[in-house]
Amino acid sequence: MSGRRTFRRLALAAVAGFGLAVWAFPVLWALLTSFKTERDVLAYPPKFVFVPTLDNYREVLFGASSILPNLWSSLVVATAATLLTMLIAIPGGYALGRLRYPFKRASGFYVLATQMLPPVGLIIPYYLVLQKVGGLDTYAGLVAIYLTFSLPFAIWLMVSYFEDVPLEMEEAALLDRAGRLRALWHVILPQVRGGIAVTTIFVFLNAWNEFMFAVVLGGNRVRPVTVAMFNFISVEQTQWARLAAGAMLAMAPVILLGIFAQRHIVKGLTVGAVKGGGRR
Amino acid sequence: MTAAGPGGVRLEGVVKRHGATTVLHGVDLAIAPGEFFVLLGPSGSGKTTTLRILAGLESVSEGRVLMDGVDVTTQQPGERDVAMVFQSYALYPHMTVAGNIGFPLKMVGTPRERIDEAVAAAAAKVGIGHLLARTPGQLSGGQQQRCALARAIVRQPRLFLLDEPLSNLDAKLRLETRLELHRLQRSLGVTTVYVTHDQEEAMTLADRFAVFIEGRIVQVGTPREVYATPQTVDVAGFIGTPPMNLLPARWDGDAVVIDGARLPVGRTGGPREVTLGVRPADLRIAERGLPAIVERVEDLGDSAIVSFVAADRLLKQKSDRLPDVREGDAVHLAFAPDAAQFFDPGSGARL
Repeated sequence: MSGRRTFRRLALAAVAGFGLAVWAFPVLWALLTSFKTERDVLAYPPKFVFVPTLDNYREVLFGASSILPNLWSSLVVATAATLLTMLIAIPGGYALGRLRYPFKRASGFYVLATQMLPPVGLIIPYYLVLQKVGGLDTYAGLVAIYLTFSLPFAIWLMVSYFEDVPLEMEEAALLDRAGRLRALWHVILPQVRGGIAVTTIFVFLNAWNEFMFAVVLGGNRVRPVTVAMFNFISVEQTQWARLAAGAMLAMAPVILLGIFAQRHIVKGLTVGAVKGGGRR
Repeated sequence: MTAAGPGGVRLEGVVKRHGATTVLHGVDLAIAPGEFFVLLGPSGSGKTTTLRILAGLESVSEGRVLMDGVDVTTQQPGERDVAMVFQSYALYPHMTVAGNIGFPLKMVGTPRERIDEAVAAAAAKVGIGHLLARTPGQLSGGQQQRCALARAIVRQPRLFLLDEPLSNLDAKLRLETRLELHRLQRSLGVTTVYVTHDQEEAMTLADRFAVFIEGRIVQVGTPREVYATPQTVDVAGFIGTPPMNLLPARWDGDAVVIDGARLPVGRTGGPREVTLGVRPADLRIAERGLPAIVERVEDLGDSAIVSFVAADRLLKQKSDRLPDVREGDAVHLAFAPDAAQFFDPGSGARL
């Protein structure tokens, strides 16, 4: 019994370790590269022992090709897109998950259907539309485009979290004279706190990592860091070490949020799990 | 009974449809102020739907709901001044016990000190005064149930709705809580509507109860009335532990004929085919009567239940002593003539 359990644990650890190695290798490789000189980067066979340098970071932060303004652009776009998304997705998810109203199924399907188009096919229409309304290379334009893909995703994620809250809990609040809005505020939202955190983080990361729309619809004024990093790759040469340093900086908030999100995902799953509190 | 004083409830011709299926086929009901009224029925019989209609959580397709003579059919749950204990308790997991109990008062802007007082009093009444700082997740099933009760009684509603509140408790706790619930209801004097599928709960708790079968109320009465004179075969087969024995017979004058055996009955009638009903407690082993084979003997310590096969039916006999028979014995069964009840084999109605 305990032997079998040990074996299962070991097998699980092996599979997880393998998966982690495959996933982590490029990240670790980029991390190493970011501390190398361009010469060490190109050395063959690759060097694992080298004199680390902070020059790359100094250059991408404060040098001629500083990505600080681009990090700022990314932060503005991603934060604005996330806030607007959640502001709509929380009530939207609640309505789709809980309320009864005409054309509910149709509107739910419509929200989902917007996700079925390949984004590549939308770039040119988006470009033309933004051009018409003067939205190219503006924060408002890029945020608006980000909403088109983050909203359906966030709404459907929130629907599933709202549906997990036992209906009876809301009914109890209604009988306790809370009314719909206060029942939502005092009883339902606290149950989906974890879900809101997880959704917020996913939406933020999607916006932060977005490249394709940013490269076409952005410009000199609004250039998120994902696009800016592209500048390190040019026809004459690719500055691998600087690219790696820039990538590390762009990745840092992602990794931090990932660690933060992990705790909340677990919390989001367990919150509201009171014994005997199941749905009928 | 009429709904005159505070807490009187009336349902008039209430129909509930979900799409093409009809859940309630015209329910009429009058519950008197202060009454402990039980809605009894198997699952899917419409009793919970009826309770939810009283709560305002379900709308009606037809008919009216009146409370204290006022039509509340279209009122929201929060406007009806009713409190409910859910089967799952539906406690708010992120609030403490005190927060849960005080929530209905907080929602109507009761001052803080008044809430604290009322919470303490309600918690003390159900014996969880020492648990106020805990969260529901830290409570046992029985304590959660009490917390839900306290949340319901804290604001002294005119109507108290309970949806199978004991079904998640273990057997021993269920019996204890049943007694306490009854005492609590008596001390508060609040009109109470209680849903259960357990006829024993209905028999022990109710002033009166209504038996629901397939979306219809088939009988309303005191436990004694319903037990003694079930109005249909369905009610007869539902009430009692074990329920009434029912078997096809021919009623011929002052006797019934079953499988050729002639057994005297207290009423003369017929000749006609009937469904004969005899309570397990009224059945006895006799020198002559209906031939039967002992199928099983269950010794419950203070009583015994013996199952027989007779006329291709399973019959049960309940007695307070273990009878001197073994499984497989051939015996004869008889009953006191007055114990026989008759039902129409077609409609199931009492004759």
